[in-house]
Amino acid sequence: MSTQNRYTVTPTVSVLAVMKARLAGATKGHSLLKKKADALNMRFRQILKKIVETKEEMGKVMKASFFSLAQARYATGDFKHTVFDSVDQATFKVKASQDNVAGVRLPKFEGVKEGADSKLGLIGLGTGGKQIQECRKSFMTAVDLLVELASLQTAFLTLDEAIKTTNRRVNALEHVVKPRLENTIAYIKGELDELEREEFFRLKKVQGNKKKHAEAAEALEAARAGHKGGAAAAPAARENEAANVLATELQDADIIF
Amino acid sequence: MAQQDQGSLLAMIVDADTATGLLLTGVGQVDLRKRANFLIVDDKTSQAKIEEAFKEFTTREDIAVVLINQVIAGMIRHLLDGYNKPVPAILEIPSKDAPYDPSQDSVLQRVRFMFGES
Amino acid sequence: MCLFNVKDGFLEAVVRGYKLGLLTTADYNNLCQCETLEDIKLYLTGTDYGPFLANEPSPMHTTTLVDCCTRKLVADWRYLRENAGEPLGRFLDYCTYGHMIDNVVLIVTGTLHERDVQELLEKCNPLGMFDAIASLAVAQNMRDLYRLVLVDTPLAPYFSDNLTSEDLDEMNIEVMRNTLYKAYLDDFAAFVHRVGGTTAGVMSELLSFEADRRALNITLNSIGTELTRDDRRKLYANFGLLYPHGQAELAVAEDFDQIRTAMEKCQPYQSIFSRLGLGETQMLDKILYEEEVRQLINTYEQQFHYGVFYAYMRLREQEIRNIMWIAECVAQDQKNRVQDGIVFTF
Repeated sequence: MSTQNRYTVTPTVSVLAVMKARLAGATKGHSLLKKKADALNMRFRQILKKIVETKEEMGKVMKASFFSLAQARYATGDFKHTVFDSVDQATFKVKASQDNVAGVRLPKFEGVKEGADSKLGLIGLGTGGKQIQECRKSFMTAVDLLVELASLQTAFLTLDEAIKTTNRRVNALEHVVKPRLENTIAYIKGELDELEREEFFRLKKVQGNKKKHAEAAEALEAARAGHKGGAAAAPAARENEAANVLATELQDADIIF
Repeated sequence: MAQQDQGSLLAMIVDADTATGLLLTGVGQVDLRKRANFLIVDDKTSQAKIEEAFKEFTTREDIAVVLINQVIAGMIRHLLDGYNKPVPAILEIPSKDAPYDPSQDSVLQRVRFMFGES
Repeated sequence: MCLFNVKDGFLEAVVRGYKLGLLTTADYNNLCQCETLEDIKLYLTGTDYGPFLANEPSPMHTTTLVDCCTRKLVADWRYLRENAGEPLGRFLDYCTYGHMIDNVVLIVTGTLHERDVQELLEKCNPLGMFDAIASLAVAQNMRDLYRLVLVDTPLAPYFSDNLTSEDLDEMNIEVMRNTLYKAYLDDFAAFVHRVGGTTAGVMSELLSFEADRRALNITLNSIGTELTRDDRRKLYANFGLLYPHGQAELAVAEDFDQIRTAMEKCQPYQSIFSRLGLGETQMLDKILYEEEVRQLINTYEQQFHYGVFYAYMRLREQEIRNIMWIAECVAQDQKNRVQDGIVFTF
């Protein structure tokens, strides 16, 4: 039994009880964390799958959007500077909310449209405005998809981190805390055994001594009985008393064993 | 996020065509100090400027998502690989002339790595 | 009539020569077969665009391709302009005022957003350049702009007649652009009328179509926006086949079917709309372009008039649009859509 991998404690019965409680706690925590890690992992897999899907879809949607941009440019001519110059306050924003998976907070984004975009409503009034609006719609879907993808990706990174910490904790409990507690308990038990044996030995010695004393006293008594028969009752009572003490001691030892 | 109640912005580091499309949707914002949430990259834009914009966007508190054209992301790959905060999220998007290539994507590379690993 | 050839005969010959350089259906068919932008470039090098494309480095982008093609048109146009006497010179100028309006609007909005002037100038349409354009950027607000710069440009009357100084500050830029454009169309129509002769006949037909198309587009695009009926009415040009009854109907139209009813009352447009399926607004642009091209080509049937110059510019522009469309389709790998955007000229 190595002395390094345990807590430095005084090996007493009460400490033993504390350690046992801690071990029970650690075991419970371990199983709970393990469950959490599994839940996170499950979610993680889902998200991974969804990310791959959404990324591919995004590729397609963006392609369609760019094509509609080309269509708009065909109908209108070059309108990008008009667009660049009419940028003012964002009307499309992202709202962040949180999603809770097994105690891990996942940020979640949601696109929000605020107010009417008056400036862009009239773009391409003379020619091709319809196409520009089509193009805009197409890019709107793309942006929605991008926002969704962004929240997936953030969830991916957060979960990745959370899973790592959870796994670290699980491993720490399994490979460090639990063995150490177990070692400590074993150590305390060993120490207590040792004490027990010493105690037993001591008691044995005491008993032996007492026996010797008793025998000596008996011999003395026997010798004295010749002189005086009436005085025999008192030493007999004393010997009884000693035997009783021994019995209780033994009983106690039993409890420990 | 400081401006949670008002909603956060999307930032963009993109080429002119992508910018046109995205700005049409009303994601653009120029505040009173003429600070824009997008950088339009053309042939003349220097790498340093892109990097600076990337750093600015990733540290601004009112930005939740940064969109980067994949081609441009390729130019500042070292910054992207070193970046691992969840918010703002960095998204690589295709550009008009270069269709989307999943194998280039930092995040997808990690995804694939995970799949391969597990 | 007899004196036309003395003054403008040379240029008419030149422009007819240019016209022969336009891409034909066969050319378009070949272009549609191209697999990459390089192929397109290679093919175009064999056409009139050759000298303008030859030195472009790879890789090509659709924008560079379009720029090169525009350069060809600009070079042609400059040549025509430099050799033109009066009143052809004025006429040619009038043709480019439309681009000038776009450029002024571009610079003005750019300036208001404190963009780099040099950068803005590069983005202007070269056809609409005028000497004072760079100084547009010195103005900090619209009133200065008008007072310092625009008074010297040919566009000045359009500004002063149609916009008050409050308008300059507050008006939506698109509304302003279209107000100017309306003033320009009216003015152009008056001008060709003054020139008279065949020019007046040919050009008024073309301009009527342009005016009607704008009226149609404005109506179509303003449905569901904050543009009121009165404002809408103000943006229609004061001539055209729809003027005035058709425009009155358009002004109150609230959906596509009402527009359609209004347009179909006018004989030439009935056939256009009959080609549209119900609820198909997508194709309208293309059909209108086709109709325009048909009219433009018709101008070459007659001689001794200026319409051919206008037609040449428009046809070239349409051709550039076509090339852009093909290039976009090829670049974005959407070749099945390629036929949707091409308006064949010959």
